[in-house]
Parts: sequence; structure tokens; C-alpha cells
Amino acid sequence: MLGVHEFSIAEALAAQVQRHAPATGRVREVEITVGALRGLEPDSLRMCWEAVTHGTPIAGSVLHVDLRPWSITCSTCGRTWSSPVPFVACTCGDPAPVPTAGDELDLVALTIDEEDS
Amino acid sequence: MPEGKRTTRVPLVERVLEANDEVAAANRADLERRGIFSVDLIGAPGSGKTALLEATLRALRGRRHPAVLVGDLATRRDGDRLARWCDKVVQISTGQGCHLEANQVRDALAEIELDMVDLLFIENVGNLICPVGFDLGQAAKVGLFSLTEGDDKAAKHPYLVEAADLILLNKIDLLPYLSFDRRTFEADVHLLNPRVPILDVSATTGEGLDAWIAWLER
Repeated sequence: MLGVHEFSIAEALAAQVQRHAPATGRVREVEITVGALRGLEPDSLRMCWEAVTHGTPIAGSVLHVDLRPWSITCSTCGRTWSSPVPFVACTCGDPAPVPTAGDELDLVALTIDEEDS
Repeated sequence: MPEGKRTTRVPLVERVLEANDEVAAANRADLERRGIFSVDLIGAPGSGKTALLEATLRALRGRRHPAVLVGDLATRRDGDRLARWCDKVVQISTGQGCHLEANQVRDALAEIELDMVDLLFIENVGNLICPVGFDLGQAAKVGLFSLTEGDDKAAKHPYLVEAADLILLNKIDLLPYLSFDRRTFEADVHLLNPRVPILDVSATTGEGLDAWIAWLER
């Protein structure tokens, strides 16, 4: 199933990538970084990417999603670790360590096959 | 690799929603220049966004000059309800869109005589996820939760809680009838966003509306 949330992000990204696409050659790979706060599912983003790029000049390009996880800090024992989910207990027994995550959503690189003219 | 072809990796640093954010910045500048305080109201379908705004507009009648933009997928019903209490209501029909975007707000603002306005409410489409990521140019984001959604709703939507300048907990009059743990809700909210105020309100009974209006006018 296509996530509606991921769909609108994929549409905005596709428009952005097409502005960078060379007149000759094609976009092979697209790299983005996503903060965990955004709540985006990489698999769903990739499915939406296939759907929104279908029939466009960037069809067939592969979307790479670098998902930045939650950072969990325990105020009882001071331990810090990363987690895919925000609400987790600490091994020291503290039931509610503090979750923080970024909301970045950035296009970081394109890999392009260019024809020499 | 075939002759005459080369593969290049081009590093970029661009926000994906840059185009939206630029329009939002223009909206924000326009609203601030005119001294209009603006609120993006975000909540689930059925949380009482329209009911809260109806009660708020009624309370502000004769005192303030509000305008309302209301996003809805398909109907004009919310706009019609709000128009009973406010003469500057613009309905934005989003069609398939599950959230408002800055350009829709920009177009809607062009339909209002803003010289006559000192407060702007933007009722977003009922959705706790998508609207959070799209800046509209508002001064404040308000996250509206309600008791009937359950006390774990905030924990399940950390982006809204983290981004909110105020959390409203609506339908507080139903507290005696539901197994809603108010302390769990508050602890989850403050773990994600330690400084955000939480105001208990009931759009139906009017409980807590004074504090909400005081927050708007602070």
C-alpha cells in the first residue's frame, strides 16, 4: 500500500530532481537523508517514488533513503543510544529516557549518466 | 561502461520542500508586517477543530477581527459552519491532498481584505502527520488532540508534538466517562517537547476556552 504521507513527499522530490536532470543523459540514483521525526517509511517512500516517476524522464531511478534514527538519552544512567522508535525503556530500569530526532528532509546527491556530446 | 558515457555523482544540499518553504516565508513576512497573529490548527478527523474554532470565534465576536482559512478534502461544510461566526472565511478544497501547502494559503489570503484582520486561523485538513511537515507561514502551530482518540495519540505522533507551540486537549468534559489517563498523555507530550503548554478545553461546554483565548492574545 502506498502511504499518503510518503506520496506527497515523493511528488515534491520528483519535481526537484527533474529540475536537476541533464538534457542529455539520465538520473540513475537519488540520495536523500530523512530525520526520524518525519515519520517516513523508507520502503513506502521507494514505492511512491516508483509510482510518481513512472512515465517521466527520471523513471527507473533508484531512491536511496538514509534514515537518521532517534537518539535516546537516559537521564538516570547517562547512556545514549539510537533507536528506530522514540519510546523505549533503558536497561538501567528508567522507564522514560528522553527521545530526540531531527526533522531533516534533504536531497543530498544525484548520480547521473551523462552522454558525452 | 559504453564509450561516450560517464557517470557522475553530484552532491547537493537542498531541502526537499524548499519550494513550499519559500512561499511560506513570503506568507509569514506578509502576516507579520500586518501585525496578524496566525495559527495553523492541526488535529485528527473528528478531534473537534471546527467545533473549537466555532466556539473561539463566538467568544471573540466584537473584540477581534479574525479570518479563517479552512482546508477540507471534498466538502464546504466546515466553511459554512464557521461563516456563521466570521465574515472572512475561505474554504480551500484540497481534493486528494491530505494537507495544506503554502501556495494554497497564499492564494486564499489574496481573497481576504487583510487590512481588516488581526488574527488568522488556518484549520488544516484532518490529519496528524502530513500537515506538520508543510510550513504555511503561520506564527504558531497548535496541535489539537481529543480524549476520544486515546491517551497514546500524542506518543504515536511525535512530529506534531515536537513541532507544536501549544497542545490543546479537547473534549475534556468527557474525562469521567473514558479510560483516558491524563497523566500519561502529559508525560508523553513533555518527554518529546518539555516546554510546550497543554491546555484542557471543551468546545462543547466552553471549559478552558478562556485560557486558550488568553494564549492567543498573550
